Amino acid sequence: MNVGGAIRAIISFLIFVVLHYTLRPLLGWRAPMDFLVLALLLAAVRVRPSTAAVIGFVLGLISDSLAPDALGAGALAMTVVGFGASYLKAVFFADNLVLNAFFFFLGKWVFDILYFIGEQRLHGFELLQQLLLWSPLSAAVTAAVGVLLLFIMRPLLEPTPT
Amino acid sequence: MARAIRSNTRLDLIVLSTCIVLALAARALPNTMRDPAATGMRRTFLAPLVMLQERSERGRQSLLQADAKQAIVDSLSLNAMKAGSLEGENDRLRKIIGLGSRLRWGFIPTEALHGRGVRDETTVILSAGSRAGVSRLSPVIAPEGLVGVVDQVDPTMSHAMLWTHPDFRVSAMSPDGTAFGIAQAHLTGSATGGYLIELRGVPFRATLKPGAVIVSSGWGGVWPRGIPIGTVLEEMKTSEGWARTYLLRPAVNPSDVYSVMILRRDRLAKGFDGVWQNTTQVDQATQRIIVSGDSAARAAALAEAAARRAVLDSIARANGGVPLGVTDSAKAPAVAPKAPVRRVAPVDTAARARRDTSARDTIRRDSVRRDTIPHRPGAAR
Repeated sequence: MNVGGAIRAIISFLIFVVLHYTLRPLLGWRAPMDFLVLALLLAAVRVRPSTAAVIGFVLGLISDSLAPDALGAGALAMTVVGFGASYLKAVFFADNLVLNAFFFFLGKWVFDILYFIGEQRLHGFELLQQLLLWSPLSAAVTAAVGVLLLFIMRPLLEPTPT
Repeated sequence: MARAIRSNTRLDLIVLSTCIVLALAARALPNTMRDPAATGMRRTFLAPLVMLQERSERGRQSLLQADAKQAIVDSLSLNAMKAGSLEGENDRLRKIIGLGSRLRWGFIPTEALHGRGVRDETTVILSAGSRAGVSRLSPVIAPEGLVGVVDQVDPTMSHAMLWTHPDFRVSAMSPDGTAFGIAQAHLTGSATGGYLIELRGVPFRATLKPGAVIVSSGWGGVWPRGIPIGTVLEEMKTSEGWARTYLLRPAVNPSDVYSVMILRRDRLAKGFDGVWQNTTQVDQATQRIIVSGDSAARAAALAEAAARRAVLDSIARANGGVPLGVTDSAKAPAVAPKAPVRRVAPVDTAARARRDTSARDTIRRDSVRRDTIPHRPGAAR
């Protein structure tokens, strides 16, 4: 990835992060989209797994700092998701919106599973309801929003032809 | 090549393991260390993001509460619109209570029900009838003054003729009893003419100033003495040469009459001393203040004229001439002397010419001119 592509990727990453703290609380949905996961996934397919793990760890700490009771849970989940996305990028990195949507859906759902298990706040039926109902819904919304943003930001995210 | 790949994979795994260990360590931190760490991050590099989130959530709350707040604003606006009429009604009721306490007995509080017709403000239906003690020709009053008279009585309600009715008449007078006349509605057909009163038949020698209160005289047996009818606006020009006619602003606007009192016939004979006395006293006090103000202004004008004359005397004396007045300017009185003063003719005629009208008036009033004319230079003696 050349310098221009890196700058555009960083800008896209920052846009997603800002959207996470502006659009998401403004909408306030019960099954919210997760722009941090989208930012992590978009960054992870462009860097090495170790770098993706570090990015995920930092993003996780950022999200955990606003919920101190779960400090570390988000970092752990983001680390795993980032490393996994970067490791599997050969499988999912394709110019296919449907495949990218599934990629986003899977990343968000895995993140939620790891997060809520690591958070240890929900138990029993509530945990199952969260993981099997609200998390998939949130993952679906995240995937839809991610695909929409990919479509909108395609000029910014496409690699520069060499 | 294979070694490099294996090395990179090993590095990735090491970094992954490190991040996982750090995350687990953060998760395992006790609350005493977890909260300061999270707070430190929020207050430093995460502060802009926290601010963005706070504003977004505040915006969402505003959006969610917009309808409720609009409903509250609408309710407040509606209440504010009602508040004016409620205050007016409260004021009217308070006055009614005050009037009732001054009357003490012999009255029937009632509601006035207006007709639906446009400008049909000549009659009202009263919610009290003969069962409550209402009889025909009972006066209807309001705290402000005269309203009308009952002309039909039913057992449970009655019909009253307001002062705006063309057939309504009441004998009226000024509170000091110097002017008498007959008050009736001012019927001109104009938009506001129906809400004014004419005071007719006032003797030509009796003049009323604008603002003077006119009350009922008690003559005729229907109306007791002293009920305010209105205040004088101006004198009307009529063809009658032997009497004056005045235009009055009514004490009671018929369209604002809702709560009134009907005076019982047995109450009329007992008099109404002190019931509307305040209004009359206020009017008389106002007249006295006006008269006192006129006297004070006249005295001030006289004093100023005397002071001017004293200054002119001093100037004339300083020029070696004969002063205007006989007395020294230092001994000049502060006000014009009441007795005529004999004066020496001035030498400087220009100084005399500079005297203003007030000074001349004062001199004329003091009969000085007659004494000073023969001393004028060149004048025949």
